[in-house]
Amino acid sequence: MAGESGGECNRTNAFVVSARKRTLQKIAKTAGEGMLFSVASFVAVIVLFIFYFVARDAVPFFQIRGFSEFFTSSNWYPADDPARFGAFAIIYGSLMVTFGSALIAVPMGVAAAICLSDILPFSIRQYAKPVIEMLAAIPSVAFGFFALVILAPLLQNNGGPLLMWAWWILVSPFMVLAVIVLSDLLTTKITDQERRQQLHIFFLILFGLLSVFLLFKVGTILYGIQILTGTNALNVSIILSFMALPTIVSVSEDALQAVGRDIREGSYALGATRAETIIKTVLPAGSSGILAAVILGIMRALGETMVVWMASGNSSQVPEPWFNYLQAIRTLTATIAGDMGEADQVTGSARFHVLFAMGLLLLVISFISNLVSERIVVRQRKILSGQ
Amino acid sequence: MNIGTRKILDRSFTAVGIGSIIVMAIALMIVVLPIITNGIGAVFFTGTVEHRKMLFSEFKRGDSEGLSSEVASSERYRSKVYDMLTGFETELETMAPEKKVEYKAKYAQVRAALQALLGPLPGDSAPMLTRFKYGQTRWEKSEEKLHDLLYESKWDNSNPDVMSKEYFVSRAIGFQGTSLVKLFPYVKDNLEKMLLPEFTVYWGFITDSSVDSHFFGGIWPEIQGTFFLAVGAMLFAFPLGVVAAVYFTEYARPGFLNSMLRSANSTLAGVPSIVFGMFGLAFFINTLKVSESKSVIAGALTLAIMILPTIIRAAEEAILAVPKTYREASLSLGSTKWNTIATVILPAALPGILTGGVISLGRAAGETAPIIFTAAVSVGSAIGLADVFSSPTPALSWNIYNLASEHEAASQIRHVQYGMVLALVSIVLMLNLSAIVLRARISKKLKG
Repeated sequence: MAGESGGECNRTNAFVVSARKRTLQKIAKTAGEGMLFSVASFVAVIVLFIFYFVARDAVPFFQIRGFSEFFTSSNWYPADDPARFGAFAIIYGSLMVTFGSALIAVPMGVAAAICLSDILPFSIRQYAKPVIEMLAAIPSVAFGFFALVILAPLLQNNGGPLLMWAWWILVSPFMVLAVIVLSDLLTTKITDQERRQQLHIFFLILFGLLSVFLLFKVGTILYGIQILTGTNALNVSIILSFMALPTIVSVSEDALQAVGRDIREGSYALGATRAETIIKTVLPAGSSGILAAVILGIMRALGETMVVWMASGNSSQVPEPWFNYLQAIRTLTATIAGDMGEADQVTGSARFHVLFAMGLLLLVISFISNLVSERIVVRQRKILSGQ
Repeated sequence: MNIGTRKILDRSFTAVGIGSIIVMAIALMIVVLPIITNGIGAVFFTGTVEHRKMLFSEFKRGDSEGLSSEVASSERYRSKVYDMLTGFETELETMAPEKKVEYKAKYAQVRAALQALLGPLPGDSAPMLTRFKYGQTRWEKSEEKLHDLLYESKWDNSNPDVMSKEYFVSRAIGFQGTSLVKLFPYVKDNLEKMLLPEFTVYWGFITDSSVDSHFFGGIWPEIQGTFFLAVGAMLFAFPLGVVAAVYFTEYARPGFLNSMLRSANSTLAGVPSIVFGMFGLAFFINTLKVSESKSVIAGALTLAIMILPTIIRAAEEAILAVPKTYREASLSLGSTKWNTIATVILPAALPGILTGGVISLGRAAGETAPIIFTAAVSVGSAIGLADVFSSPTPALSWNIYNLASEHEAASQIRHVQYGMVLALVSIVLMLNLSAIVLRARISKKLKG
């Protein structure tokens, strides 16, 4: 542009532009930038719109029915006359599967992230990452189909043995570790070498027998359990944990890699093993980033619709007893998805608006947790770079 | 602590980390493998003569002479079954009244089982639904139905403490002493000759439309609907996302406004997918009225909003990955900032931007919750391109849910469900794999 206009008036002064052209260019530049800005701010407008439109249809519900019934009662009979809109059991169900999936996904995800950032050599990491990405890419409805058609019958028919095997396979290695560590810790104070060795062996045998007893006792109890319905909170929690894992792994891996080499090397120099280095220095330094990862992963589980809709059993009740993961539950997302079709016909009724109230609840929770996790990440980056 | 114990702890720590990655890989396998093995069964299976009959009369496909000779040879064996039935019916008339009532009920069950196996029997009125016009089209299903014919299932409720158990009683015993008792071994021995199973490759599963809510036929309307929705969402979201990314990387100045915009972006990325669906219903359909009710355009717009943050992020990363030297070289040659972006930076970042776009395309294709209220319909034929503004469409993701959870005979059409899941999963995984490969090539190229 500059070259063309210069060529018209003066060859020696190719880059001098007339004042009028310069203002035109400036205007064009501001206009272009303004256009870019308006496109970029489109996202913010959408977020505002989402809040406005969901709230617009949610507010009438609270105006008609108030807050107390929605949050405290578990009588969910939206189609009855008079209708009852107690969503406590539904909210509880949402929290229950979210907690359950976090229980599985957080330890596994953090362990996998540590493995990816600190333990595995680059050549293997290259292949591990696509696996995680594929897990993230599988559509939720495929997971839901798996949960409904394959996992639910499996749990229903062979629930007891499955639980027992899961208990043995998952817990026995940790039991062995605990026995070794405990007997070591109990004997470190003793100075007499021979006595210490004897005591060590004694403790090993004692704790070993105790843990074997515990393993078998709990195993037989689990073996006897009959799962009445395969579409239950446990099923959903397992599947949701696999859906939350990729988020947790990738975000916490970023957090761990942001922790500098110098911290790790300092710890190694003091004679720490790799496990000690990671647990005592790297994890505390990256803890806020990991917390952010956990929040994001949990949000994925809380906001997931298809899996819970297909495989949670959709029964609006607080399980009996309250921690029983083997009973059918119902979640906010599944209620919205399932009831909208029926409520849609009677737009304007409380039945329609209560679903938007649930949506608003989800939206607010996700907004707050996003904000929190973002702040955490920003703060961690500042601390790690500013020190 | 002992140095030995510390070493053991260190090793086991490593083992836990590697173990959890292995568990994830196994989980991926456990989810994907049954879907692949069962899903392939929708296209490659052992089809019976009923399948070829169905293809010929519903889709006008197949060779009519071969089919009629096949039908004739199967009828030769079937006619004996029909003779036995008529023989028993005449026998039934001569029985004592109380015996007659008892046998009549049992006979009705046998007849129903035979109808399920072989299709309408002579003397039946023409069935209303297409699903009853043919016998079993798949050999493994006809073996199940044969079992239903030979054995009656009963439930053992004698022990109230355990769940009731299913057990089977042979039907032949119930007909001891009548002429029908010969029917059961005859059908068992000659089923193959009556149904003529043969290995079938049914590509029509992908290209045909469904017959009688997915009892027969294929999934083309769903595939097409998914394609319309995903591509439509990309048409809206991709240009917007790239332009926004250009703004964020090249023009945005750090400050309150910019951090607000970034927060908005990550908030949008975290909104639960079902809330997008509600928003689409409340905004696009009820407020903007882009269409009377559900439509492809409303669904595509909703999906576009959902994938926008992903596209922006991916495009930003791709633009930031372009080496600084490119930009500086272009600016030093006297080109303006805008020129640099359009002719140097964007082309260099294009593969990376496309990678993000491909991944988002996969996400839009796989997502269900946003289209439930805005675009999806359970049964329907493939819609034309002109109808996208007015009519809803079936889509793979929604119809998987619908067939698996709400279909009146969900357990009868498992092969269709598996086939659909496999189609969806392979579309999404293909897109992701190509993105992974593309990215690997880019990083190689950028490294030099």
